[in-house]
Amino acid sequence: MKVSVVRGGGLAGITTRTELSASALGEEDAHTFTEKVRAAGLREARPAGGGPSGPDRTLYEVVLDDSGSVVRSRFTDDDLPESVRRLVEWVDARPERSHTRER
Amino acid sequence: MPTTSTARRTPPRTPCSIAPPDLLARVARQGTPEQRDAALAALAASASMRTQRSLLSRMRLELGAETANLFAGLEGASPTRRQTVYDNESQGRSGLPGTRKRGEDDPPVDDASVNSAYDGTAATYDLLQQVFGRDSLDGAGMELISSVHYGVDFDNAFWNGAQMVYGDGSGQLFVKGALVQALDVVGHELFHGVTSFTADLTYSKQSGALNEHFSDVFGSLVKQRHLDQTVDEADWLIGAGTLVPSMGKALRSMSEPGTAYDGDRQPADMAHYVDLPDDNDPRNDNGGVHTNSGIPNRAFYLVATALGGHAWETAGAIWYRTVTERLGSLAQFSDAAAQTMDVASSFGDAERAAVEKAWREVGVLT
Repeated sequence: MKVSVVRGGGLAGITTRTELSASALGEEDAHTFTEKVRAAGLREARPAGGGPSGPDRTLYEVVLDDSGSVVRSRFTDDDLPESVRRLVEWVDARPERSHTRER
Repeated sequence: MPTTSTARRTPPRTPCSIAPPDLLARVARQGTPEQRDAALAALAASASMRTQRSLLSRMRLELGAETANLFAGLEGASPTRRQTVYDNESQGRSGLPGTRKRGEDDPPVDDASVNSAYDGTAATYDLLQQVFGRDSLDGAGMELISSVHYGVDFDNAFWNGAQMVYGDGSGQLFVKGALVQALDVVGHELFHGVTSFTADLTYSKQSGALNEHFSDVFGSLVKQRHLDQTVDEADWLIGAGTLVPSMGKALRSMSEPGTAYDGDRQPADMAHYVDLPDDNDPRNDNGGVHTNSGIPNRAFYLVATALGGHAWETAGAIWYRTVTERLGSLAQFSDAAAQTMDVASSFGDAERAAVEKAWREVGVLT
């Protein structure tokens, strides 16, 4: 299982990608990761966001790759669910995660 | 779409005003000093009416520094700045605004982010009120609310439609604590509020790039005025020092778009316009709003440097009136060019010529 978080927009308009694989984690963290992914509800169908966002909102694309089954979700700072925010913050704080500029 | 002259639509109704406001305005522009003072006094006599107040603000911009003291007397008691800064304590959206830390008359507190938000908000309010005669973002004295320490290591700051939020930054993209310390970032974000109350530029493609552009202009002017810089002294950067140093010196350069950081794709003219889709993909940034804003940004820089002196006095006044009175929500670059030229005409031939030359140089006018 792998989670990728692409963030763009914001006041800078700079896009970054943060990735974390369960395989890089110890047993306890991998379990926590699985629980946070489940709580985030990323596997559930979501309505596509519509219309222009407000100025300088962070735009999020969260991709869950679960053994080749890929689910892509998009959010903004205005509609990012609390459970997804907690997952993203947890991923950000793991030393095993990678963090790169997209473009 | 905002009209160019609400005064013309709404004739005066108060007993103390016997001439139409547009006639008084013409006398103020073209009459002798004595006629000018009398006309301004007549306008001010009914300044409780919103239309006259708006016209007085415009006349203040047109007539410039020479009449500043006169306006201070005519407009009565100064509007009052009202603001409060809160600590979001990492709670994010559900925890807004947070715990109250500092109100308008409170002394500094033991939190640099709270004090920076307070000072940046004050500098922005003061530019709007003292230079452009605007009482807060809505022109009606709304209280300015800020929340610092938003979320956990949050790499952003924005006006959410009701208040400011500032993240601390992660140290991966933004230097920790740097966003709220950057006066031009604070001014940029707050000016999104002004735009939402006026032109309300749709945040997509060219109208979105204009929305970004006006925020960069007035963010930069907040900083330039605070530092009392002339156009030659200003750095014309947005958010200098906020990015981690390995990425670059700033978020944007108004004088040399495309040079602010490694990977900066801002074009300096229409020949290099970047046509991105507005499709909710974070990589496409609402159709390149932070990319193509480089084109009008450079036009403003060219106008300001051509006119010289303090950028907020003439170039800023032309741009302020354009965004608050002339543009509609779907305005394109060509509309901004046409309207800034038309507004500049009321300042003089040299001003109009400078504006036209700048839009030609960036390829919006051909």
